Amino acid sequence: MCHDRKEGFSSVTILTVMKQLYYEVKKCLGCKSCEVACAVAHSLSEELFKAIAEEKMPLPRKKVLASRGKNYPVSCRHCQYPKCVDACMAACLVRDVDKGMVQHDEARCVGCWMCVMVCPYGAIRPNIKAKIPIRCDKCKDKDEPACVKACPTGAIIWQEELAVKP
Amino acid sequence: MKQFIIIGNSAAGIAAVEAIRKRDKQSKVTVISDEDYPAYCRCLISYYLAGEAKEDKLVYRPDSFYKENNVEFLMNKKVARVDPKKNRIIMEDKSQLGYDALMIATGARPKFPELKGIKRPGVFGFRTIKDAQNISGLLPVTKAVCVLGGGLIGLKAAYALKKRNIDVKVIIKSKQVLSQMLDVQAAGLVQQRLEEHGIEVLLGQDASEIIGEGGIKAIKLESGKAIGCSMVIVGKGVTPNIELVKESEVQSNEGIIANNFLQTNTPNIYTGGDACESFDIALGAHASNALWPVAVEQGKIAGGNMAGDGQKYGGSIGMNSLEFFGLPVISLGIYKAKGGDSSFEELKLSNLKENLYKKIILKSGVIVGAVLVGDIKNSGLYLSLIRQRIDTSAFKDKLLEENFGYPVIKDLMQEQERIYV
Repeated sequence: MCHDRKEGFSSVTILTVMKQLYYEVKKCLGCKSCEVACAVAHSLSEELFKAIAEEKMPLPRKKVLASRGKNYPVSCRHCQYPKCVDACMAACLVRDVDKGMVQHDEARCVGCWMCVMVCPYGAIRPNIKAKIPIRCDKCKDKDEPACVKACPTGAIIWQEELAVKP
Repeated sequence: MKQFIIIGNSAAGIAAVEAIRKRDKQSKVTVISDEDYPAYCRCLISYYLAGEAKEDKLVYRPDSFYKENNVEFLMNKKVARVDPKKNRIIMEDKSQLGYDALMIATGARPKFPELKGIKRPGVFGFRTIKDAQNISGLLPVTKAVCVLGGGLIGLKAAYALKKRNIDVKVIIKSKQVLSQMLDVQAAGLVQQRLEEHGIEVLLGQDASEIIGEGGIKAIKLESGKAIGCSMVIVGKGVTPNIELVKESEVQSNEGIIANNFLQTNTPNIYTGGDACESFDIALGAHASNALWPVAVEQGKIAGGNMAGDGQKYGGSIGMNSLEFFGLPVISLGIYKAKGGDSSFEELKLSNLKENLYKKIILKSGVIVGAVLVGDIKNSGLYLSLIRQRIDTSAFKDKLLEENFGYPVIKDLMQEQERIYV
């Protein structure tokens, strides 16, 4: 759904379809349920006990890190001006403006880690064995990201965001 | 309607085209390349030579890119000189083209040392897809290759050749590999990994002659020893391609000098990528940082500014990321503390048996560089701290901790946080 809106003298298109992940920090207990759910959701079997035994053990695309007594889930934000996309020397990271997502073409990726080098959030982590950077894909094939479903306190919020299309 | 000319069809050139087209769909944009290939991923040529990436993986922008962006693309054309007084460029074939704004993104080329025999067939640089194809074409009749230079290009070439089962020796003048980006300890880990996989590394040695009759038979070292090989790959650094402005008033040093709008001293001529020298944040002085992400960033800003933006460039940082046989390495900014300068401090974490080595260099509490081997996960955070010149004194003990992460520095960042509510 998009519509034009006049803002000052320039016309901009406002998109309201993108959903983003937000975190209510004071609700986060640091239980890491989201990490486990994320890894399982990105495994072949999508089942915890089978996933553990998979040859390429799935890694979480989200990490809960603490600072000054508070817990912060950290994962890719799908930045509007993503440094990883600019840095990608294999052109396999692309920002899809309409979906509001940074997408990764794993088949083209060579695992050069330029994206890891420049991510200002430390949200891209290298899977050295698979030679693939791992980052949040918002569980693109599912209706809701696995972390949102798994959070026992409702600290992870999956909500539409207003974004301005350039 | 204006005429924009972009000389160069790689990272900086393409980024400039995209930035221009974001703001200006009408004006004429001409891209000139001296190669006969549409935009490709130059840094992937080692993966291509190794057989890990097929040619189609090298495509940086699809063939339709030029048409979709309404760009006139001139392949196989070399610009001989720029005439800023008349706002025109002159090609080697004597044809001319006028411009309103010009972007010089001509990149760099391999430096070949003055060495007897350096012109022999079988001596290659390793920069273009053509180099990779020419090298690859000879591999069926090649048993042994000597690589001159232990920098990134030399080692990437050596890695690729080893993957193709060629016998490779790397001849390095300095006492370590990657002396432009790593300290001795980190370099030791990389060297060990290369040697474990059968790449022979000869330190503290330089070639004195490439011996042969017609083709190559051997390399003679300064020590007098000769090493048999039928191919030589030269990875002794690069020279910016700036001959086209040498006789003009456009100011250059090693590279073309850019101000913080990526403009040269001639206001309607811009530059970016490997051909340019820009402000280096970690060094606090102008330097050339020949690196894909830097080139894209510069091309984007220069292109935007050509189309009328007034975007300021924060400056570049010398950095690189590489991986050999599963060992990831990242180097950022200044990688060795200046001896005798007490304002420098080094934080280290190392477990050489586990192939782990992490070092952060601080100057008066501000991170100016880092070397990460084996565990590279937080490098983007260190890079942010370097770029934003943040005093880390209050939390420097945490920097190398396993659970260090973005939450520790989030309140210090320029950009306002919006996802934590």
